[in-house]
Amino acid sequence: MRQEGKLHPLVKELKLDLETGKLSRREFLRYSTLVGLSATAAFGMAGLASPRKLLAAQIIHRGGTLKVSSPIQKVTHPAQFSWVAPSQQLRQVAEYLTWTDSNNITRPYLLENWEASEDLKTWTLNLRQGVKFNNRDEFTADDVLFTMNQWLDKDVGSSLLGMVGDYLDPTGIEKTSNHQVVLHLKRAEIAVPEHLFHYPALILNHRTFEGDFIKRPHGTGPYTLEMYREGERCVVKRREDYWQMGADQNPLPYMDSIEFIDMGAEMAAQISAIRAGEIDTIDLSDAGGTDVYQALKDDPDINIQPATTSQARVLRMRADLKPWTDNRVRKALKLCQHREKILALAYFGQGIQGQDFHVYPKHPEYCKKDTLQYDTEKAKELLKEAGYPDGLDVNLAVGSEWTDVVRFAEVLKQDAAPAGFRINIRTMPNSQYWEKWTEVDLGITPWTHRPLGTMVLNLAFTADDTGKPVAWNETRWVDEEFSKLLNQANGTLDVDERRKIFCKLEDIQMERGSIGIPYWRNVWMVTRSRVENVESHPNLYMLFNTVWLKKS
Amino acid sequence: MAKFIIRRFFLLLLTMFLVSIAVFLIAESSPGNVARNVLGSFITPEQEASFLAQMGLDKPIWQRYLYWLTGSDWHAEKKVGLSLKRITTRKGFEEWWAVGEGGNLLRWKMEGEDLIALVKTPDLETFERPANDRWQTYPEGGSYFWGIDTANHAVRWEKGSGETVWNFVMGSGWMAATGGPAEYIPLKKGFVRGDPGVSLRTGRPVSKSIFVRLRNSLVLAGIAFAIVMPIALFLGILAGLKEGSLPDRFLSISGMMFSVIPEFATGIFLILIFSHWLDLVPGATVFGEKAPWERIDMLILPVLTLTLIELGYILRITRASMAEVMRSSYIRTAFLKGLPYWRVVFRHAVRNALIAPITVIMLHVNWLMGGIVIVEVVFGYPGLGKYLLDSALYKDINALEAGTMIMVMVAVGTQLIADVIYTFLNPRIRYG
Repeated sequence: MRQEGKLHPLVKELKLDLETGKLSRREFLRYSTLVGLSATAAFGMAGLASPRKLLAAQIIHRGGTLKVSSPIQKVTHPAQFSWVAPSQQLRQVAEYLTWTDSNNITRPYLLENWEASEDLKTWTLNLRQGVKFNNRDEFTADDVLFTMNQWLDKDVGSSLLGMVGDYLDPTGIEKTSNHQVVLHLKRAEIAVPEHLFHYPALILNHRTFEGDFIKRPHGTGPYTLEMYREGERCVVKRREDYWQMGADQNPLPYMDSIEFIDMGAEMAAQISAIRAGEIDTIDLSDAGGTDVYQALKDDPDINIQPATTSQARVLRMRADLKPWTDNRVRKALKLCQHREKILALAYFGQGIQGQDFHVYPKHPEYCKKDTLQYDTEKAKELLKEAGYPDGLDVNLAVGSEWTDVVRFAEVLKQDAAPAGFRINIRTMPNSQYWEKWTEVDLGITPWTHRPLGTMVLNLAFTADDTGKPVAWNETRWVDEEFSKLLNQANGTLDVDERRKIFCKLEDIQMERGSIGIPYWRNVWMVTRSRVENVESHPNLYMLFNTVWLKKS
Repeated sequence: MAKFIIRRFFLLLLTMFLVSIAVFLIAESSPGNVARNVLGSFITPEQEASFLAQMGLDKPIWQRYLYWLTGSDWHAEKKVGLSLKRITTRKGFEEWWAVGEGGNLLRWKMEGEDLIALVKTPDLETFERPANDRWQTYPEGGSYFWGIDTANHAVRWEKGSGETVWNFVMGSGWMAATGGPAEYIPLKKGFVRGDPGVSLRTGRPVSKSIFVRLRNSLVLAGIAFAIVMPIALFLGILAGLKEGSLPDRFLSISGMMFSVIPEFATGIFLILIFSHWLDLVPGATVFGEKAPWERIDMLILPVLTLTLIELGYILRITRASMAEVMRSSYIRTAFLKGLPYWRVVFRHAVRNALIAPITVIMLHVNWLMGGIVIVEVVFGYPGLGKYLLDSALYKDINALEAGTMIMVMVAVGTQLIADVIYTFLNPRIRYG
């Protein structure tokens, strides 16, 4: 544990906030680990027992093969991943610098720890020593340098370029010793540790990596890549010299191998297979999973663990196109969402109600607000004021393969009719929806989970320096006061202060924003009951280092 | 007969040629974007352009068809000025190299402004050496070089022409470069030389996947075929002989029932009954290394589904044909001659009655190969039909073409077999 004196000054403040009740335990854990306090220390300070399960008491069974149904996609450069699926296989072979767990707490992984300067512009990453790649090369600062430069290389074309490249230049990465890297950021950023766990951010071996990971699968992870046949199978096997120790004082992992089988996109066959025990789990990270949940929820041999996420089906209105330019019309449509009904009918009640601002209750900066109630009378009045006494016809674009989106649209159509909205649902294949998701005037867009409240707000509700809405601002809604407050929030680490700002941000978005969010979706980790120690991650990442299989 | 078969063979080639053009045109004109299908909806325009260029999809359609049919290596050889060779490494990766002086194999890469040659000697030693002497100059300024990169493309590298880009070179850090790859030709031997190319979706050579898939489908279809045909013919003959009797009514009605229920419904009912409820056999196919032999029990339900669908259909055709023949005058004559019943049936009736079913059966081999796609999807069976479906959904043209060609071959081939069988059943039919 680190010395009290070397702690980031914020930790003391956070601790004080925790003690005076200004901060919940969850928030304390989140923020103190963000500025570099180790998770164990944070848990200790928060007066909680470390969540590491007391496995020694249980009898861990080593060995066995886990069978996973998962798409086996084409892979060359891990930084180029555009789907989560390939990271599910390769995260068993290579590893990340950090690790954001199921509670959105980020912990060191290949890092020993990290420290942030007070202005949050300098980040010191201390690398774990004695970690070896599976080709026996030692893991050093050069690997981190090499990998980060791959992210920032335009020719590689990584999605991390837009994320990390926004605040980090290649010249800002400094190797200070063999096991220390210092990042000098262009601007303050608190999500650095989160970004280091973004799924394409696997650490590569700088000595051997040549652009195709499958040809030289050299990672630091607990398994080695034995076979990778795109569209068919992938097999990883346990390595003997992995750096992490299990609860039984022998090196991890517990399982001998993991086999990934590509069974295609059709879920029926996968459901049958897991029922019959032919596979142990289904990778639902890029799929929806509602049909799987529905089919398996009553099966005694299968564990279903939900995770609450900030995934949303966003009812988005183009604030620059008529009639949505008028806030009264936007507000009227928001009033027509019968949230409880939508959640129950569209998503089997498997989630929590949303409040028309893009922050969910598990985000640390979430500020509690009252939910807007379904009220067609008020909506009708607003429409009358806006000049539509006889109601109006609108087209609602939805992707037909998202079944919950379609059901949400149908419920909305029915419930908005009394207010005067005559909604014409225009379904189209998902691919077609993605062709024009930023262009349609009214539509329902799926947004993925992000661990911090600021992340989506920055992506979807801001303008660039010239005042033009940013690329993913699908509603073209730009609000001066909102942008100013958001900028302020981006540079504020103190949770109380941040939440104060978020209270205002949420109010603005509720009052005059361009979106309706009726519910936040759960996701599910589905495993056979013989699979032990699985956690359900909001991204459904398969973190299987400490997973073990019961003896059959 | 030989002449007939040869004529059919040329007809097959012509059909394949026309179908391949049709598939190319249909895939070309259908909506959707292969880069977005493969990489997801959120790729940047640059990523999309780079994907299309590296796959050679930025070239005009006639050129892509020509490359697909006859290969691109001969064209690339002219550009590079060296002969090209495809080798298979010990780990099973296919690699293209240029053959340099002394039998050395060569590839190139750019590091900053420098061109580096990767050399592989005949005794498999590898080393790198600078190769800046290979640059050629454009008359209008700037220089270029055609070579082979490490990802099986012929590439035209340029420098000194366009804007400056920064490349990260391990050991030297970030280096300014005034160029980079400007044009790609993905290397392949072409369909007529036995190389259908690389799947755009999976990046795997199509030939490596498709024959496994074909084998899986053949196993499934073959077993179903072997079970269905004798049973269906036998029961059909039986029903046709006793037209209107109780067994006939039972067979006809149950046969019709199963053939009108769509196969996805039959499949799912069977899964529900035999897998979920009775827990007798697995309801999905999950194959390991030795697919599909290692788990015969997984084949039971798919085969049963196919059997039920096929059985009713062929049974009814055979029955109708048999009943008709039994009413004809020559059979009556045979009976009146006093021939034994079974002799009349087998020697005189069956041969004529089988002509119609054989046509249907042979047409159904095609249906079995292509139509089992639904059965394959329901059971997650890794067969050719599912492969074709996925390829079509992703607009994976190389895989789609190869699959289609196999289907054409099966279609024309089974028709040929049917024609030959006719001559044995009915000696009046002659091909000349």
